[in-house]
Amino acid sequence: MKKSLLLLAPSIVLGAAALAMPGIASAAGSTSYQAQLNALNHSSGSGSVMVQLNGSQATITEHFSGLAATFGGKPYPHVQHIHIGAQGTCPTTAADANKDGVISTTEGAAAYGAIGTTLSTSGDTSPAAGTTLTVAPSGASTDYSRTITLDSKTLASLTAGTAVVVVHGLDPATLSKTAQGEKSDLVPSLPLAATSPALCGTLVASQMGSVPGGSAGTGGGSTAGTQDEGLLAVGGALVAAGALAGGFALRRRSAASS
Amino acid sequence: MAEVEQHGPRVRLLVTALAVLLVAVGTIALIVGIRAQRHAPQPPASAAIPFAGSATGSSAAAPSHSVGGKATKGPVLARSTPVQLSIPSIGVTSSLINLGLNPDRSVQVPPLTRDSRAGWYKYSPTPGQLGPSIILGHVDSAEYGPGIFFKLGAMRPGQMLTVTRADRTAAVFRVDRVVSYPKGHFPTLDVYGNTDHAALRLITCGGKFDLSSHNYLSNIVVYASLISSHRV
Repeated sequence: MKKSLLLLAPSIVLGAAALAMPGIASAAGSTSYQAQLNALNHSSGSGSVMVQLNGSQATITEHFSGLAATFGGKPYPHVQHIHIGAQGTCPTTAADANKDGVISTTEGAAAYGAIGTTLSTSGDTSPAAGTTLTVAPSGASTDYSRTITLDSKTLASLTAGTAVVVVHGLDPATLSKTAQGEKSDLVPSLPLAATSPALCGTLVASQMGSVPGGSAGTGGGSTAGTQDEGLLAVGGALVAAGALAGGFALRRRSAASS
Repeated sequence: MAEVEQHGPRVRLLVTALAVLLVAVGTIALIVGIRAQRHAPQPPASAAIPFAGSATGSSAAAPSHSVGGKATKGPVLARSTPVQLSIPSIGVTSSLINLGLNPDRSVQVPPLTRDSRAGWYKYSPTPGQLGPSIILGHVDSAEYGPGIFFKLGAMRPGQMLTVTRADRTAAVFRVDRVVSYPKGHFPTLDVYGNTDHAALRLITCGGKFDLSSHNYLSNIVVYASLISSHRV
């Protein structure tokens, strides 16, 4: 009795979830979120993020390209985070309070909030790892994929629609003269460009319960190359044999007549 | 030698007759074999340009990827499972099976059977609902030849297709664009991302076939938008 009740419980929860969210069927209670990453601060990049949530386990897949490639001759570290707890939006140029032409991370915080989760390549994913350059994806483009556990604050923001993915790190050459001379508002030992936001996108619930990963294997390959090789080979062999036999007959005829 | 010379005329006649027969049968086999060569059509770059008359064409070309409280475009239907797909322009009529996810989170594809059918990805919206409804079909199978979506790459913007649903509503979609993507550059958000209209994506394989991995290197995606519906 107890066992059957236990078995029944998840289906009741799922049923309730289905009622609460008409039109969204999901795989085993999981939910998908997505963000289109758009350029901030005249960076030229773009990208997208998918978050597949199963309880507090989040599988994050991200692709971005077009960002600054090198920093001091080395691959440019682009620290990235899920920012939480504010308006859930990306800042406009109006957020540039000191009018230096750059929306610094601090100036953008009114729109996207503080760091909730660091999207690091390994190890710590807490806000404490927020400016650890060694675990930031580096270079102009990245394909990032990692399964991490989200804390309750990040989860709450995600559900509330106020979780925002921000990728940092600008090409100093694109900054105004004033801004090029400024120090980072987060890490004073770094220039302003290094920590300022370059890409930003709000995570919104997907219209799909579960977003598939990537491409589909919808071909077996029968029509890709030459088909009916057997038939063609037999046909070719028959014609060749016929030609040989014909040639033989003709030679015999010419031999006989001479 | 003398014996052969003696039977010369008869042997010659036999050999000539055999030669004619071999060439005739061989030629027929070659013609049949060559005529049986079939290759799936691939969409030209021009088919990727959104259909001009499409109200939702522009949004399909540059998906907004957000719906939170934003206005939707075009008609939208309530949820109902799709049961049949009809694409008159490429001669496709298929009952639809339900598809889920593989353990690696890639989308399931229909089974490779003689009776090739298309399938609806059951974690996507149903055709006619707001968002991207996904229908997949094979371009071919190694054993049974051309599949249900063999000619998908021949579809062009502006063509119509109909999905009949369990609630006996026929949802009529118009093709916005047809695009071939290398699988390594599959634009997940364009294909599976949120839309501001009732959208349909038909997906099959295309491009070059990789003999080592036994896989096609591209996916052909037909983007379509709901334009009307009627009872059947």
